[in-house]
Amino acid sequence: MPEHPPSLLTMSGITKSFPGVRALDGVDLEVAPGEVHCLLGQNGAGKSTLIKVLAGAHQPDEGRITWNGAPVRLRSPSAAVRLGIATIYQELDLVEGLSVAENVHLGHEPTTGGFVRTREARQTTAALLERLGHPEIDPARRVGELSAAQRQIVSMARALSHDVRLIVMDEPSAALDPDEVANLFRIVADLTADGVAVVYISHRLEEIRRIGDRVTVLKDGRAVARGLPAATTPTREVVALMTGRDVPYVFPERPTRPPTAEPVLRVQGLARKGEFEALDLELRPGEIVGLAGLVGSGRSEILETVYGARKPTAGRVTVDGRPLRPGSVPAAVAAGLGLAPEERKAQGLLLLESVTRNVSVSSLARFSRAGWIDRATERETARTATRTLSLRPDLPDAPVRTLSGGNQQKAVLARWLLRGCRVLLLDEPTRGVDVGARAELYAVIRGLADDGLAVLLVSSEVPEVLGLADRVLVLREGRVVHQAPARDLDEHRVLDLVMEGSPAV
Amino acid sequence: MPETSRRHLLLGGAAVSAGALLTACTSNEPKNQSPVGSAAPAADDKPGTPVTIGFAGPQADHGWLNAINDNAERRAKTYSDVTLEITEGSNDTATQIGQVQTLINKKVDVLVILPADGKALTQIGLQAMKAGIPVINLDRIFASPQAYRCWIGGDNYGMGLNAGNFIGEQLKDKPNATVVELAGMDSLELTKQRTQGFDDALKNYPNIRKVARQAADFTVESGQAKMAQLLQAQPKFDALWNHDDDQGVGALRAVAQAGRKDFLMVGGAGAKSAMDAIKADTGVLKATVLYPPTMAASAIDLARALGQKKGVGGMSELEIPASITLYSAVVTKENVDEYLPTGFS
Amino acid sequence: MTLTTPAKAPPREGRWRALGLRADVRNLSLLGVLAVLIVVGGLTRPAEFLATSNLQLVLTQASVIGVVTVGMTFVITSGGIDLSVGAIVALASVWATTLATQEFGFAGILFTAVAVGLGCGLVNGVLVAYGGMVPFIATLAMLASARGLALQITDGKTQIVTVPSVLDLGLPDAYVLGIPPLVLVFAAVTVAGWLLLNRTTFGRRTIAVGGNPEAARLAGIDVRRQRLFLYLLSGLCCGIAAFLLVVLAGSGQNTNGNLYELDAIAAAIIGGTLLSGGRGTIVGSVLGVLVFTTITNIFALNNLQSDVQQIAKGAIIVAAVLLQRRTVRDGT
Repeated sequence: MPEHPPSLLTMSGITKSFPGVRALDGVDLEVAPGEVHCLLGQNGAGKSTLIKVLAGAHQPDEGRITWNGAPVRLRSPSAAVRLGIATIYQELDLVEGLSVAENVHLGHEPTTGGFVRTREARQTTAALLERLGHPEIDPARRVGELSAAQRQIVSMARALSHDVRLIVMDEPSAALDPDEVANLFRIVADLTADGVAVVYISHRLEEIRRIGDRVTVLKDGRAVARGLPAATTPTREVVALMTGRDVPYVFPERPTRPPTAEPVLRVQGLARKGEFEALDLELRPGEIVGLAGLVGSGRSEILETVYGARKPTAGRVTVDGRPLRPGSVPAAVAAGLGLAPEERKAQGLLLLESVTRNVSVSSLARFSRAGWIDRATERETARTATRTLSLRPDLPDAPVRTLSGGNQQKAVLARWLLRGCRVLLLDEPTRGVDVGARAELYAVIRGLADDGLAVLLVSSEVPEVLGLADRVLVLREGRVVHQAPARDLDEHRVLDLVMEGSPAV
Repeated sequence: MPETSRRHLLLGGAAVSAGALLTACTSNEPKNQSPVGSAAPAADDKPGTPVTIGFAGPQADHGWLNAINDNAERRAKTYSDVTLEITEGSNDTATQIGQVQTLINKKVDVLVILPADGKALTQIGLQAMKAGIPVINLDRIFASPQAYRCWIGGDNYGMGLNAGNFIGEQLKDKPNATVVELAGMDSLELTKQRTQGFDDALKNYPNIRKVARQAADFTVESGQAKMAQLLQAQPKFDALWNHDDDQGVGALRAVAQAGRKDFLMVGGAGAKSAMDAIKADTGVLKATVLYPPTMAASAIDLARALGQKKGVGGMSELEIPASITLYSAVVTKENVDEYLPTGFS
Repeated sequence: MTLTTPAKAPPREGRWRALGLRADVRNLSLLGVLAVLIVVGGLTRPAEFLATSNLQLVLTQASVIGVVTVGMTFVITSGGIDLSVGAIVALASVWATTLATQEFGFAGILFTAVAVGLGCGLVNGVLVAYGGMVPFIATLAMLASARGLALQITDGKTQIVTVPSVLDLGLPDAYVLGIPPLVLVFAAVTVAGWLLLNRTTFGRRTIAVGGNPEAARLAGIDVRRQRLFLYLLSGLCCGIAAFLLVVLAGSGQNTNGNLYELDAIAAAIIGGTLLSGGRGTIVGSVLGVLVFTTITNIFALNNLQSDVQQIAKGAIIVAAVLLQRRTVRDGT
């Protein structure tokens, strides 16, 4: 890359306020053609607002945007698209009922007299998918039938179907497996080789090191650092800029003695056809057991089946020796199980409701008499739980959607703490949680185990499983292939195990 | 858990007995059947050539329409030479067209059609006539006279006119008299006609002024609601003209609820409940203007006469007239006994 | 670890409380609409509009649809819809006024109306909760069958009530301190509904199921049982409303409750209940009903005809909703 390339996009002094919140406070961003410009920042730092301004979805209150040296106003998403700015959102915006080709050409279908030239649309789509390294996706298939990773590719194909000069990718790797991430990096490299600029948002510092050119760090709606070299800036410095702290991944100490109590949870021969087979598992109070495996290895399915949210085809789950009614969440909750689901917003939280009500929802019987809720007690006990987990801000009446990802996760944990649950099932507990808050969440989880809870942990981040769990079960294609204390494993070994038999990346 | 199961048992038992009681409660069989239909048949009732009459009407979701069906069926039963093919009533034009089509295909001798919508069913009337099946068009008139051999129906304008004249005569000596009107469904042509007739009649009485009009929709519920509002809006008036006796049940309820007795009320259509009230003469209802459902019985008579190629008894014409408009008689305490058998519920 | 340093100063606690009261702000804007209507009524027909008898009239006319709307508010808050309310009211009112039922007198009529309402609600609830049917379709089917059954029972005839104790309940002599008994029932249902939605576990679960059914399920709520109870509740309200209607109209007719479903949904929505579920307000729904009833009243008092009434009613719905949006506008 040249030292001072002419900039493709310059945003300066961008300010955007929402009632009560100044989301962006004079942010500058400068992107050169053909570079991968990484945007870093904790949740709530203003990244989403900034890319929405760039996509024409939000109008800034103040500030100027120049494109190829000329001032522009991005009045609408279509205005941004016309300039050549494409955005791939984290929550993919595809229409599930339409085909791949129809999604790719949505809004700019090739037409003759109002009729879509379907064949041409499919051909151009196939060409785009080929270019993205996924020729196996059939342009005629309905998007609803595709996997998460395939949808991401379709979303990208849609971005590339325009004459694009700048692509914004919001956490594109969050739902991807390592080999798919490798493919993503190859695509990004191809794009930049063609002179397309990429604004890349990720929580994963190692990714940014691998593909990023420059880094802009946002904090509290301001750009606290601009144009840092991605490869050479020390991690410590980046983390410090983002958080004011300098410890990225700190795992809490494991207890010195392994737990000896009788297992509280026993899973025997549990299976669900097509998802996972014959799982045996024991979980003791005070113990954290991790499930490691790729996307599609059956990790989440196992948790949900143990929890009764899915009905097993074979096997049984017992708590304290008493078998659980299969396929009944209320029975599992009554027996002392609690689940922090993978999709926190879609499956875990009542987003319209306050923190208190999100925490109390599973324990309503506890502060009600004959169905009558004692709201003062409810608020106070919920607050005790959230304070135990240092949920911030300490505002019981705040809508839960205003919290950061990490604190939303704490609200879910507080729900089970309040319920007095004995077995906690955690599915991707740190997804969407920024680096600074992770360590705190790890400490919280370990603290809960130390207080006698049994924890079953699923994570796609192998270091997380290894760092947090006492014992690890490695899964491949719905089957436990290895089982060992976490301290006897390393990341390399686990990756070997989960990918054993599959071609090397 | 014995306790729960006993509770379940109790609940179950209660549910079953409640169900049994409820099922018994659907019965509507009155202790003595009220007679429907009127005096002697119009045509002679000596048995003649057998005639098959096809009958198609709208869904009988309203007292008057139900009485239409009753009248047709009962009258047909009185003739040994008449077979009545009656279709399931429908308010849907397309369904009704299909039903008439079926009757044409069955080659009935005469058709009696009360269309859900007269204009929309004109084509099917034409088709039947072309196929050589004479059509008696009952009440709601087809758009073209070619679509029927004979039309028989009520006189909506006449209803309004007679109601207005009756009220006018009652109030003619009262200076600055005021009347209010509780109309039927405003989206129907017949409501406009009834109002027009009423207004035209009042022009003969310069001392009477119509001060308010609200439209209900022929249901008891709407009659109560709109009448309650009218009573609130007009703390004092001398007479009320209500287009329909069914909604009149609700209107009378509203009058009772408001505790008002200071005016006279004239109803319309000729429901039995209205006639009973007129006969008892304890409330505001003093008269009702007929829109007689017996027209269906007459239609059967006409159809039979057509099928047997006879004229109408009592008239010197060889042929049945092309159109018969019924008279909207005013039923009062004096003549109510005469009409009571035709009252419908 | 330096975990104790907060990233930014926490906002003051009061603000979130204020935000939590947003549903009540909607109610305020609806109160504004009502106030404007009262001014209009008071200016155009002062003597008639401002009379005590008119207040009694408006509240009485609001009571039947009002009770239905309270039940509907629960169903909508849970993310469902009940299109069958009008048909259930019709069926319950005709079943309660057959000659056979009337032989059992007051208690027979009341029991039948409520039992039929509950029965229909039970069928709706089982179809939706355990049959996996979409509420729109299940209750649409109930709408059709209940109307059909009502027609079959009445044979299209008007069933006049002859039980004096039932009829007398609608007459001025039965007023308690000037309040018609129908209005008392409406008030009681409103208060009970408000308490149930805002102060009990049942209400909390209703809101949770409407806000995020999957999260509610994974939090251990028996979502299906909750849905069953909600349609039962709506059926119960329809049964009570049917009894009130029998008292009001002194009769049962299969055409009763015509388009109640739309009136109830409209009242709940302009009151501030989210059609998508997760947020509901009984006070708002009742205000919505009162706005509609007051509009009808003012129009009738001013002798405006049905065509004008309908046009203006549509315009006022749009105006009320736009006004609310202005009042509560904020960027998510």
